[in-house]
Amino acid sequence: MLEDTIIAISTPPGFGGLGIVRISGKKALAVAGHIFQPKKRSKKSFPARRPVFGTIRDPERETALDEAFLTYFKAPRSYTREDVVELSSHGSPAVLEGILRLGTGAGARLAQPGEFTLRAYLNGRLDMLQAEAVNDLIRSVSLTQARISSRQLGGSLSRRIFRLRGKLIALLSRVEAGLEFPEEKLRTGAPADRRTIDSLAAEVERLVAGYEAGRALRDGLTLAITGRTNVGKSTLFNALLEEDRAIVTPYPGTTRDFLREKLVIDDLVFHLVDMAGLGKPAHPVEKTGIARGQKIARDADGLLVVLDASRKESGEDERLVRKYRAKKMLLVFNKSDLPGKIDRRMVRELAGGSPSIDVSALKGRNIDKLREAIRGHFAPGPAKEEDVILHARQKDLLQAILEALGRAAGLLAKGHSVELYAEEIRSCLPLVGELTGQVRIGEVIDDIFGRFCVGK
Amino acid sequence: MKAADGFDVIVVGAGHAGCEAAAAASAMGLRTCLVTIHLETIAQMSCNPAVGGLAKGHLVREIDALGGLMGLLADETGIQFRLLNRSRGGAVQAPRAQCDKAAYRLAMKYKLERMPNLTVFQGIVAKVLVTRGAARGVETLDGTRIEGKAVILTPGTFLNGTIHIGLRNYPAGRANEPPSVDLAEQLKKLGMRVFRLKTGTPMRLDRDTIDWSSFTPQPGDAEPVPFSYRTSGHLQNKVICYLGYTNAATHAVVRRNLDKSPLYGGKIKGIGPRYCPSIEDKVVKFPQRTRHQFFLEPEGLETTEIYINGMSSSLPYDVQREILGTIPGLDKAKIMRPAYGIEYDAVSPTELLATLETKKIRRLYLAGQINGTSGYEEAAAQGLMAGINAALSIRKKAPFVLRRDEAYIGVLIDDLVTTGVEEPYRLFTSRAEYRLLLRIDNADRRLMEYGWELGLVPKNTWKEYQEKRDRVESAFSFLRKNRLKSAAGDSVTLFEHLKKPEIGLRSVLEYGKFPGALSDEECRHIESETKYEGYIKKQEREIAKSVRSDSMKIPVNVDFSKVSGLTREAIEKFEEKRPATLGEARKIPGMTPAAVQNLSLYLEIQAKREVSRARVSRGT
Ligand SMILES: Cc1cc2nc3c(=O)[nH]c(=O)nc-3n(C[C@H](O)[C@H](O)[C@H](O)COP(=O)(O)OP(=O)(O)OC[C@H]3O[C@@H](n4cnc5c(N)ncnc54)[C@H](O)[C@@H]3O)c2cc1C
Ligand SMILES: Nc1nc2c(ncn2[C@@H]2O[C@H](COP(=O)(O)OP(=O)(O)OP(=O)(O)O)[C@@H](O)[C@H]2O)c(=O)[nH]1
Ligand SMILES: [Mg+2]
Repeated sequence: MLEDTIIAISTPPGFGGLGIVRISGKKALAVAGHIFQPKKRSKKSFPARRPVFGTIRDPERETALDEAFLTYFKAPRSYTREDVVELSSHGSPAVLEGILRLGTGAGARLAQPGEFTLRAYLNGRLDMLQAEAVNDLIRSVSLTQARISSRQLGGSLSRRIFRLRGKLIALLSRVEAGLEFPEEKLRTGAPADRRTIDSLAAEVERLVAGYEAGRALRDGLTLAITGRTNVGKSTLFNALLEEDRAIVTPYPGTTRDFLREKLVIDDLVFHLVDMAGLGKPAHPVEKTGIARGQKIARDADGLLVVLDASRKESGEDERLVRKYRAKKMLLVFNKSDLPGKIDRRMVRELAGGSPSIDVSALKGRNIDKLREAIRGHFAPGPAKEEDVILHARQKDLLQAILEALGRAAGLLAKGHSVELYAEEIRSCLPLVGELTGQVRIGEVIDDIFGRFCVGK
Repeated sequence: MKAADGFDVIVVGAGHAGCEAAAAASAMGLRTCLVTIHLETIAQMSCNPAVGGLAKGHLVREIDALGGLMGLLADETGIQFRLLNRSRGGAVQAPRAQCDKAAYRLAMKYKLERMPNLTVFQGIVAKVLVTRGAARGVETLDGTRIEGKAVILTPGTFLNGTIHIGLRNYPAGRANEPPSVDLAEQLKKLGMRVFRLKTGTPMRLDRDTIDWSSFTPQPGDAEPVPFSYRTSGHLQNKVICYLGYTNAATHAVVRRNLDKSPLYGGKIKGIGPRYCPSIEDKVVKFPQRTRHQFFLEPEGLETTEIYINGMSSSLPYDVQREILGTIPGLDKAKIMRPAYGIEYDAVSPTELLATLETKKIRRLYLAGQINGTSGYEEAAAQGLMAGINAALSIRKKAPFVLRRDEAYIGVLIDDLVTTGVEEPYRLFTSRAEYRLLLRIDNADRRLMEYGWELGLVPKNTWKEYQEKRDRVESAFSFLRKNRLKSAAGDSVTLFEHLKKPEIGLRSVLEYGKFPGALSDEECRHIESETKYEGYIKKQEREIAKSVRSDSMKIPVNVDFSKVSGLTREAIEKFEEKRPATLGEARKIPGMTPAAVQNLSLYLEIQAKREVSRARVSRGT
């Protein structure tokens, strides 16, 4: 257990200003080195306990994910007494999950809940007095617990996973019966297996897709306020938050960096981001700000596109709306206290039929309506709540099942013999077992005898 | 009775388990005595006249690779041979043979009678002699004492056996053979957990009263595949089996007479095997089925008895006749032996160590049906392992235990001793985690070296095996070295080419002009190894990993109540089973992963403390 290198987000879920990903194990430094590029390229090694600035990079795609600090804690002077690397970056869940993905790609394994503490314990970092507490922790973060919390939240998730388990056992029992009892002319065979595998895979895929919805419920959704300069984004930001958080001036290019704040509407958490407006940059700082803003808008879960209703729409407005038409967006026609000049219908059409609302951020008009519109438009619907998967670990398990089913379907399509794709289906049992409690092969055998009349 | 200076191993019961046990112990050089009720029924096949099948055929190959007898004798007395699942991959192919029952019995008797170190003796054992917690011999009903250093009990279905036909029943170990009552009672007194199981057998019909034109012939394979590595020469199919079906009228008769069934009438309390359902079971449990298949199988060449596979029953004789009356072709058939059900005692195999020695009495070994299994092959496999381990124990050598990833024998015994049984246990290939590794085509690769080292595999067989291994290796290097141009113009090794599902080895070798000659058996082995290569590698990695974790020892004096975070229930289970390794702990029925994790945690910490304590005491 202590042989592999583990990785996990160690800051609480949500949109903190700062997020930390922690890697522990023999390969911690190697993994980090793979995905982290120091700013000063000359830096070949990392000094212990001294933060080094740089970027998180996807080694395959050569793209930067975010800026970050890397701090190296050399064994045994670390939390787990193993080599530990901490990467602190911006706290966006998207960024942090991205780092996890890269880290696992570079050879680390997603930590089990509580596993860092467990290692600290095993390596003698924690004393015996803490043993009970650790034990409790390990147990409380078990999958049972996860199952309970998912039941509370999603209701039907565990039912769906149990149904999946049942279907998997039924599929396997059919495949195995055909193998074990070749002399009984059982109606089993590749075409039927193929259909079952495909429908199972589709079901798992839906569950995996629900992970995103689950994340939204847990961590909150990011909403970026975007639009040209001076359309009143910062004024709107302040109005929604009901506090003077952002600086407002009559001059274009006021907001240069971005600001995020939590906005709670009913039971839902949104992370509202105000940022530099789009337009001709007058200053290099502005230029960076705009670039950042575009990236944030791209990564956000939804956009509030602010337009100045008192002016005729500009080419800039049109380009903006067209660029993000694939994203979930809400058009906000601001400054509606002034005589209107904008062609609302035209803009709406450009936006691919996204909903719109007229407000005056300055006068506070229609802001309540806007809140309702945000809730209505961006919140995951009840249908999605059913699919909620709470933990990255559960998603990983489902993903692994999906991959095994994919390989099974592939083998089947290429004409490989039954026992080979049976092997892939069998490999799903321990994975499902981790989600729902152990599946013994006896259960499959029971199912065979319940389903088929076999034997002499 | 005493050999010149006493026996080493005493085997009770010359069934399939007992014969292998006695043969193995004596071949390993121990003075062995095989005591059995009737010398005429040595190696009697109580039920169907066949050996092998899926998983069972695998077992026979493994028994053979370890130097056991079953495969060799099944080949010698086989009258029809089939390789099952021929159209599928190597891992799920297995041989099966119809055997001449009488010939099999005689062949085994002949073999055992001529084994040096082996005494075959007729007697009904009433008691195991136990001194100071160890088995020291047996005593028969007529008072004869036979002394030895280890006792292997293989009494099959005989312990407190009760035969049921309809609502009548009488004590018997098998049709018209006496049951073992005293022995059964003694085992209970020794504190063994005993439970009741049942099984059944169909009627035997007179060949000359069957209208054979009503049934579909099922011939043997054109190229029979032997069980044994020692069988030389061509095997011959000498009989044909036939396939037939029951019908609605048959089912109506069964349904109408269910009140006369001891099972449905509540007379039988024992649990029966679901994979050998009686015709009553089939009709009741699958009411939507309009017909059930059965096979007509000759019991031998010298007899007219026909075994009707699929028609096991414990309904009364006249109902059995009525049932046959509904099936065209069997309506005039004469029953030579009625079908019957039998209830018997079995000992919970969780009483056993992995060597099949009982935990309570040293040097007492149990093998075969007594351990809750069913089937000749399962019995033979256990007998062989018990014989080997009794011999090793007397010789004070390390026990011989096969892992689940090494052999089906390992899967079988591990399932028995760690999980126990609730119904008669039969092996299935799906019980093996590493099915692709446990094949009939590599049983020799997996096990023959063990057999050779134990002294059970003859020298010439061992030599032939080595030659075969060399041939196979040279074929592999040939396949890896030589290339083939595809239609698209790129070149692949013959090995890669052979991975394609539709490609067979013979055509590839021909293409590449392989200089050597390979047998069909060798071809099958190479094809499996090639086509499964990716999976084999992956599974071998998994095995290496789990062997490391599972082999973590649990000290015998560990106090489970000290392990924090365990539920009362988990503590009790650990106390009761006292697992020796983490692997065993994991396999305790109903044990939660969390409990095992807590235990593992505790052990790791204890181990670390030991180390630091040792360091302190050494003053470093
Ligand atoms: C009616 C019936 C139906 C069966 N049906 C099936 C089936 O459908 N499928 C299946 O797989 N298996 C079936 N079996 C079981 C199969 O026969 C056994 O699994 C197998 O033979 C067990 O082998 P064994 O060596 O343990 O015992 P057995 O083959 O039963 O041999 C036991 C031997 O021990 C001897 N013995 C017993 N007690 C004593 C004593 N006190 N002293 C000396 N010798 C003693 C007996 O004489 C006998 O030779 C059936 C058995 C019976 C009787
Ligand atoms: N009349 C009217 N004026 C508004 C309204 N909203 C904002 N303004 C004014 O528009 C000007 C720009 O407002 P900001 O909120 O700074 O605009 P911005 O989009 O954040 O501008 P940049 O940060 O420069 O991109 C200020 O003078 C605001 O007072 C509105 O609803 N009505
Ligand atoms: Mg602004």
